[in-house]
Amino acid sequence: MKTEADLLPLSPQAARAVGRLRPARKIGRQIIVILAPFVLYGLFLLYNGVNPWELYVSMVRSAFGDWFGFGETLIKATPILLTGLAAALPARAGLINVGGEGQLAIGALLATMAAVWLLDALPAAAGIPLMLVAGALGGALWAGVTALLKVAGRINETIASLLLNYVAVFLVGYFVHGPLKDPHSFNWPFSPEIARQLRLPVFDGTRLHIGFLLAIAFAVLVWLVLAKTGTGFRIRVLGGNRIAAERAGIRVSLIYAGVLLAAGALAGIAGMIEIAGIEGRLRPTTGATYGYLGFLAAWMAWNHPLRLLLTSFLLGMIAVAGNELEIGSGLPSSSVHMLMALVLFFLMGGARGRKA
Amino acid sequence: MIADILTGALRSGTSVMLASQGELISERAGVINLGTEGCMLAGALGGFATTVWTGNPWLGALAGGLCGMLLSLIHACLVLDRGANQLASGLTLMFFGIGVTAFLGRSFVSEQIVGFNPVPIPVLSDIPVLGEVLFNHDPLTYLSMLLVPALWFVLFRTRIGIILRAAGEREEVLFACGVNPRLVRYAAVLAGGFLAGIGGAQLSVAYTHSWVENMTAGRGVVAVAMVIFAAWRPFRAMLGAYLFGAAQALQLTVQQQGLPISPYFLFMAPYVLTLAALLIVERRKRSSVPEGLSRVFAADADG
Amino acid sequence: MENQGSNGVLLRTVGLTKRFGSLVANQGIDLAVKAGTIHAVLGENGAGKSTLMKMLYGVYKPDEGEIYMDGRPVTLHPPSRAREKGIGMVFQDFRLIPAMTALDNVALAAGSGWRFRRGSLRERMLEISAKYGLSVNPDVPVWQLDLGQRQRLEIVKTLMAPNVRLIIFDEPTSVLVPQEVRAFLDMLGLLRKDGFGILLITHKIDEVLACADEVSVLRAGRLTYRAERDEGWTAERLVSAMLGERTPQPVTKRDRAGKRPTEEARRSGHPSEEVPRSEPRFADMPPEALSRMEHPSEETSHPGCPSEGPGEVLRLENGAIAGDHGELVLESVNLTLRRGEITGVAGISGNGQRELAEALCGLRRLKRGTVTIGGKPVAGGPREFLEAGVACVPEDPLRESVVPGFTILEHMALEGIPLRRRRMGIDWRHAREALEASEEARALNLAEAGRRADRLSGGNVQRMVLARALIRKPRVLIVSYPSRGLDIGTVHAIQRQLIGLAESGTAILLFSEDLDELFKLSDRLVVLFGKRLLGPYDPAETDAFRIGERMLRGETA
Repeated sequence: MKTEADLLPLSPQAARAVGRLRPARKIGRQIIVILAPFVLYGLFLLYNGVNPWELYVSMVRSAFGDWFGFGETLIKATPILLTGLAAALPARAGLINVGGEGQLAIGALLATMAAVWLLDALPAAAGIPLMLVAGALGGALWAGVTALLKVAGRINETIASLLLNYVAVFLVGYFVHGPLKDPHSFNWPFSPEIARQLRLPVFDGTRLHIGFLLAIAFAVLVWLVLAKTGTGFRIRVLGGNRIAAERAGIRVSLIYAGVLLAAGALAGIAGMIEIAGIEGRLRPTTGATYGYLGFLAAWMAWNHPLRLLLTSFLLGMIAVAGNELEIGSGLPSSSVHMLMALVLFFLMGGARGRKA
Repeated sequence: MIADILTGALRSGTSVMLASQGELISERAGVINLGTEGCMLAGALGGFATTVWTGNPWLGALAGGLCGMLLSLIHACLVLDRGANQLASGLTLMFFGIGVTAFLGRSFVSEQIVGFNPVPIPVLSDIPVLGEVLFNHDPLTYLSMLLVPALWFVLFRTRIGIILRAAGEREEVLFACGVNPRLVRYAAVLAGGFLAGIGGAQLSVAYTHSWVENMTAGRGVVAVAMVIFAAWRPFRAMLGAYLFGAAQALQLTVQQQGLPISPYFLFMAPYVLTLAALLIVERRKRSSVPEGLSRVFAADADG
Repeated sequence: MENQGSNGVLLRTVGLTKRFGSLVANQGIDLAVKAGTIHAVLGENGAGKSTLMKMLYGVYKPDEGEIYMDGRPVTLHPPSRAREKGIGMVFQDFRLIPAMTALDNVALAAGSGWRFRRGSLRERMLEISAKYGLSVNPDVPVWQLDLGQRQRLEIVKTLMAPNVRLIIFDEPTSVLVPQEVRAFLDMLGLLRKDGFGILLITHKIDEVLACADEVSVLRAGRLTYRAERDEGWTAERLVSAMLGERTPQPVTKRDRAGKRPTEEARRSGHPSEEVPRSEPRFADMPPEALSRMEHPSEETSHPGCPSEGPGEVLRLENGAIAGDHGELVLESVNLTLRRGEITGVAGISGNGQRELAEALCGLRRLKRGTVTIGGKPVAGGPREFLEAGVACVPEDPLRESVVPGFTILEHMALEGIPLRRRRMGIDWRHAREALEASEEARALNLAEAGRRADRLSGGNVQRMVLARALIRKPRVLIVSYPSRGLDIGTVHAIQRQLIGLAESGTAILLFSEDLDELFKLSDRLVVLFGKRLLGPYDPAETDAFRIGERMLRGETA
C-alpha cells in the first residue's frame, strides 16, 4: 500500500546503484531460497539422531537410482499432478479451487461404485475406461456443486470448495461404512476389492501403473487447450483482467462453470487412479492430502501445466522420502511434511508479492 | 440423554470454539489463516509437553497458546511482509504444523498426565439439567465461555474493536486516522494463533489427557469454516462450534443406542449448514464479509 | 474554539507552488481564509484545486511558498499535523467504512486511545448534529445511508475533531439533490456564524454566488481572479475567469454531406471564418463523396450498416441510469446517434459520463428506458451490444482493456480482428497479417504486434484500443476521453482517425473534457448537467463560452 512517503522518488544515482546490486543479490537470494529449507530440516534431523546427508542422498538415489524408486516417486506424483491441474486450470481463469481433495474423493467413490456394482464382469479393455469415466464424472459432479454455488449463489469458490472437501470425506465414510462395505472385512471400513482385471496395468519390477502416463497426457492436454485454443485464450483473458473479458463479450459464468467441471473431472480421475492403480479398494482415507498437495504444487508452478510436471515430481519425491524416513529411522512419515512446508515457506518468503 | 449430549457438545466443542474465536479476530482484521489446524496442533503438543514437564496444566495451557502464536507468526510474516498468498501460506502452515508436531511429539505419545478435570461450580452445578450441562466442565471450557461475551464487547463496544474491524474493512480509512493497519493485522493474527493454541491445549490437556499425532483431525479447518458460518460474529461462532461438538457427541450416543442414522450425516451437518447459511447471506443485499477479506477471495488473492 | 476576532485570518498562503515532474499543478497561490467566512475556490477540473487542497490538508508538501497560521509559519505535512492545527477536511470520496455504524465511524476518526465512552460520544454527536442541522442516525450502518446522509455524517465527523477551526469542503454538493443543497448552504451559514473558517472547493458558480464571502478562481494552476463579496462580482466574470477569455473561435468543421461551410460562414457574417486546410477540395474528392454531398439522403456503401431511414443508428429513449450505490445518476435521457455523425458530450466530470458510456456498451443495465440499435431493441450484456455493432474505447484502457502479459496482437484478436480458426486453435498468422495490413493500425502508428500491451505507454495503449475499435468498422463507437494525457502528435492522429471513421459511416459518441476538441470534431454537442442530458446544440451556432456556462449552470442561462 502506497503511503505518502512513497511520493518521493529516488535520486538517479541511488536508483542506479540499487540496479547494479540487483542481479547479484537475485542469484544469491535464489540459492538461499533453494538450499535453506534442506539445511534447516537437516538440523532438525541431526537433533533427532538422523543423518540428514544420508537421507537426502537416499532420497535422490531412490528417486533416480533404480526403477523401483523412480516408480514410487511417480506413483506419488501422479495424483498430485492431477489435483494440481485441478487447481491450476481454474486459477488461470481467476478462480481459486481448493476442492481437489473432495473432488478426488468423490471420483474415487464413484469409480469404486462402478467397479464393484456394475463393471465386475467386464474385461479390462472395457472396464477400465468406463471406470475412468465414472471417476471423472464423480469429480466433475462434486466440482459442479461448487460451480453452482458460485454462479447461482455467488458464494466464493474457495470457501465453498473447502467446505465441500469435508462433506466429501464424510460421504465416502458413509458409503464405506455402509452400502459399499466389504462384507468380508470384519467391520473394518473399506470397500470390497475391485476385480483383478480392472486394476491398471503395472510396469514390471515396480508398483508403477500406467496412470502416470495418463496424468502426463492430461497435463499436456490442459497446456494445449490453454495455450493454443480459442477457449484457452478466453480463459486466460478472463484470468488476466475480468473487466476486459466482460467488455470483450466473453461469457464469464460459462467459463467459470466449465473450468470448475473440468477441474473436478481431473481430480476425479486422480481418485480413480488411486483405486485402480494402487489401493484396489476404497478406504475412508483414500487420497488424503493429495488435494492440498496438488494446490501447493500448482501454486509453486505458477499454475503452468507443464511446470506442474516438475513441481509435482518434486513433491512426490519428498513424499516418498517420508516413507524412507519411517522405515529407516522410525520417524513418522508425516514429518516429511515439514520439509515440504519449509520449501514452500522459503519460496513464499523469497518472492516479491504486494505487501499487505 | 439430552443432557449428556449437550454436555459432550460443550466439552468437545470448546477446542474448536477457542480456535474459531481466534480466527474470527484474525479474519476481522482481514487475514485468513488456513493454518489454524497447525496452530492448534502446536498448542496441543506444547501444552501437553509442558504439563508433562511441569505438572502444572495452567502453565501447559499458556505454553500451548504461545506455541500456537509462534506458528501464526510465520503466517503473519509471509503474508504481511512478503505479500504471500494468504491461502497458500495458510495451507503450508497447516502441513508444517502437522509435520513438526508429529516429529517432535513422538516421545509424548505414551505419556500420562493429570491435566484439567471437570470442576463443578458449587451450587450452580446442582441445578437440574442446566447445572450438569453448563457448570461441570474443565477450567478452560469455563474460560472459553467467558471469552465469547468479552470478545463481543471488545469488538463492538471498544475502540480497539473498531480499529480491528477497520483494518479488515477499509485499511485506507484506518491509515487516514493515523493507525498503521499492518500492525493491527499482525496483532490480530498472533492473537488468533494464541487462541488456537489454547484450543489445542484444551484438547490434549483437558479433553483427552493424551497426545496423538494429528489429534485435532481437522478441527482447525472446521474452526475456519465456523467463522464464515458465523458471519464473523462471536456468538454465532460459539453456536457453530457447539453444533460441531454436538454432532460428535450425538454420534457416540447414536452408536450406543444402535440407531440407524449414519453418524456421517451428522458430521456433514455443520458444513452443509454453513453453505446454506452463506447462500442466505448472499441473498441479503449486503454480504457481511469484511471488505478487506473479500479481496483475498477475489482473483487478486496474492497478498 | 479559538477566536481570532471576527476578521482574524486563520490561514494564509504565500506563493504556494507544487510540481509533479514537468507538470506545474499550482503556481504561486496566495490565499487567505478568515474566521467566520466562507472562502470559495472555483475552477474547472484539472485547474489545480485538488492539489491545493491536498497541500492545505497535509497530504502534499509544497515545493515553494509558505503557509501561515495565526501569523506563524507552519508545516502541515503529514495530515496529522494539519489536524493538530485545527484543519478538518470533508472529502469528496467519503472516508467512511460502509459496514460499520455511523457512531463507530465517528469513534474511529474522532476518538483517541483504546477505549471509548460510547455514551458521551453519542451525546456529542447528537449535539453537533442538532446544532447544525445535520441529522444522522448514529446506529445505522453506513451502507444503508444515501449519499446525502453520508456526507452529513462525514461533516459531523469532521466537526467532532478536537479544536477544529478551519474546514475544507471538497466539491460537497456534487452528490446532493437540489433540496439538499439548500440545506447544506444553510448549514454553512451556521458554521460561519460560529466562527469557523470555511474553504469551499467547487465548480458550481451558483453556490458561490449564494453564500461565499470571498472567492479565488484557479485556472491552469494559477490564481486568475480574487475578490470579496463587497467588491461585487457577477456570474459572467466568474465564468470567464474560470474558462479564460475566449473570443468566439473559428470553428473547424468537418465537411459534411449537404453543408457548405464557406457559404454558411459568409451568411453569418464572420469574416474571420476560415476553411481549414484539411478540408478536401471538391475537385479532389472521389465521386461517391461528391454525390453524397449533392444527395444527402443516399446511402453510401458501408460494410456493417444496412440502410435505415433518416440515418439513425442508435437511440436511447427515456433512459434512467443508476450509479454504483443505486442512486440515480441520469434520468429522462433521450439521445440519438446518426450515421457518420460525431456527437460530442461535454460536462464536468462526475455528471454521469462513465455511467452513460457503460450503459451504451452493455456493461450497465438501464434502470428505465430502451436502447435501439439499427431499429432493433438491444438488451443484455456487452456481448449483445458487440454483436449489434457497438465498439467501445473506455476511459481507463489500462485498467479495463489491458490483460497483463498479453501481446498487442492478442488484444487485437480479443475484440478487433475477426479470428479465423485453424484446427482447434486460433490462426495467429492470419491474424497478424490482417493486423499488419490494416490501414488503421498503420495510421495510428501502432507498436509492433509482438510487444506486451501492459508495458506500453499510456499513449500506445490508447492507440491500440482505438485501432482495435476502428478495425471492426463498427456501427457505433463510444469513445471516452481519447486524448487524455497524450502528446499533441498522438492526439491529432487519433482525431484524424475519428473523423475518418465517421466519414465511413460510423456514429460516434465522444466524451471529452477538452472543449476545443469537442468543437473541432463534433457535428452536434450535448451537455451533461444536473442528471440530465441537455442539447443537442449545433457547434456552428454556439461557442465554448456558452457551452461552458451550460456545463456549469445548466440551462438556466
